Amino acid sequence: MSETGTETGPGTGTVPVAERPSGVIHDIGYRHYDGPRHGRGHAFAALTLNSLRGVFGLGRTARSKIMPFLLFGVMMLPAVVSIAVMAILKERALPYPAYAVTMQAVLAVFLAAQSPYLVAPDLRFRVLPLYMSRPTTALDYVAAKLTAMTLALFILIGAPLTLLFAGELLVDLPGPPHTGDYLAAMGTAVIYAVLLAAIGVALASFTPRRGLGVASVIAVYLLSSAVSAVLVGLLMSTSRDAAATWAWLINPFFLVDAVQNWLFGVEPHNDGGYPPDLGGPVAAALVVAITGLCVSALVLRYRKAAAS
Amino acid sequence: MTILATEGLTKRFPRVTALDRLTVTAEPGVTGLVGANGAGKSTLIKILLGLLPPTEGRAAVLGLDPATQALDIRRKVGYMPEHDCLPPDVSATEFTVHMARMSGLPRGTARERAADTLRHVGLYEERYRPIGGYSTGMKQRVKLAQALVHDPSLLFLDEPTNGLDPKGRDDMLALIRRIGTEFGISVVVTSHLLGELERVCDHVIVIDGGRLLRSSAIGEFTQATQSITVEVEEGQEALAERLRAAGRAVTEHGRLLIMDAGTPGAHDLVRDAVCDLNLSLVRLEQGRHRIEDVFREEAAHV
Repeated sequence: MSETGTETGPGTGTVPVAERPSGVIHDIGYRHYDGPRHGRGHAFAALTLNSLRGVFGLGRTARSKIMPFLLFGVMMLPAVVSIAVMAILKERALPYPAYAVTMQAVLAVFLAAQSPYLVAPDLRFRVLPLYMSRPTTALDYVAAKLTAMTLALFILIGAPLTLLFAGELLVDLPGPPHTGDYLAAMGTAVIYAVLLAAIGVALASFTPRRGLGVASVIAVYLLSSAVSAVLVGLLMSTSRDAAATWAWLINPFFLVDAVQNWLFGVEPHNDGGYPPDLGGPVAAALVVAITGLCVSALVLRYRKAAAS
Repeated sequence: MTILATEGLTKRFPRVTALDRLTVTAEPGVTGLVGANGAGKSTLIKILLGLLPPTEGRAAVLGLDPATQALDIRRKVGYMPEHDCLPPDVSATEFTVHMARMSGLPRGTARERAADTLRHVGLYEERYRPIGGYSTGMKQRVKLAQALVHDPSLLFLDEPTNGLDPKGRDDMLALIRRIGTEFGISVVVTSHLLGELERVCDHVIVIDGGRLLRSSAIGEFTQATQSITVEVEEGQEALAERLRAAGRAVTEHGRLLIMDAGTPGAHDLVRDAVCDLNLSLVRLEQGRHRIEDVFREEAAHV
């Protein structure tokens, strides 16, 4: 946010303004404000927008823009390449529903790098009491931060998908466009965004240190994906393929992919598929449960912080 | 109109009672809230903002109940915390604009008022630089600006002079006085130094251990604690004797003599005594009222 010269801007106050020759700033006295004062909704929107801008480094130093925009660029890259492939070879390269799960490492790095920014400085520099002394509740604060991260992740996943879809329409491949796939992927993007935002912000909120926040989010991702991969490998090598399909669900990205598989009927993007029948509903229930757990932890955390 | 009132307000934490049946009222103007560290000042402000629920008792701020109308109260008051509360990587302007918007001001108005308010608290070109590079004095001004930017009816300032050098302290106190008079905004300001508050307050409330010790207009304090502090290089005892002989109450505080100065001619008496005894006078000043003086007096009354 840049500040324009409002030194001589029109006032809304009632105190008469002293004579002002041009070029000299005079003390025009204190002016009271009688205009509208908005409520919680306005503050929520202001905080959400401010946080969303901050996640992408807007309104912050040049250095803090590097990471989010670099990752955004990396996310767009496969879409650009796919469009080129479609234009030249006239065939589809990367299906929409596979996009997020293929790019999971990039999404995880973005989540780890940017979620601490949302919550850690307010804790570390103790800005939170200033929010809490305004018409904002702890619940509003948590909701605004979660909404901002959810929107950021949705943009990160949705933008390349949309670019890819626009490319497909322009290239005009033989056969009808894959509108169903695109919409399914966009729907799944919402699920990804909500789940990942809840996990990332909740983990980051437990430490006022940004570095620790980054490390804890990335550690959780690495751990879950490693455990999942090792278990799958182990179970498959011992020919227990049914158990292996369950082990995939430990990785949050394959968990959401399983939900996508069940909800939209698109093919699985792992090696060996997900558990049949119960797999989809269980995965969906897990997504809801993990999100709920993280949001509850956040609310409790901030209820306590608001009072101290 | 009463800006704030509490009735039997009690706050007990698991290990400590922060407020103990506190009943106070404050009228418009600048009210000082004095107490030693841990006397319950910050707890009281948090209860009045509706951030902490009281264990017992009631409170009202601008006629509103913090227990049920906290959001309405917070829309009308400004709060400057005692501790650091500024992010280092944004400029004072951006930060104040954001805080104004969080208080419900529309975007354009928020910018306009942020610029105005920062100027009123004495931040000029430096307001476009990141706060991380500011001096303590400048940071205190930004903290004050964010509390003032939405034109509150009442300001809570928690230890606003903390960490400031004497000049910064004077500037801050003058600013608080201006806010109370020229800006017409009621102020509740806390401090552990009574002498500091008597320069800006109309009324002073003294609390200790969560209890009300005293609540009165500032004039009464000044009269009650008029004294002269004298310091001489040596011969302190002789001087004390001489002054006592002249019918003055004198107490010794280490190297200092504190003499009752209720009647005129007290300074002359000290001067003559020092001359007659041929002593080297180091200091002769109007007694500084410290919180301890009030405590001592109150204890004497009991």
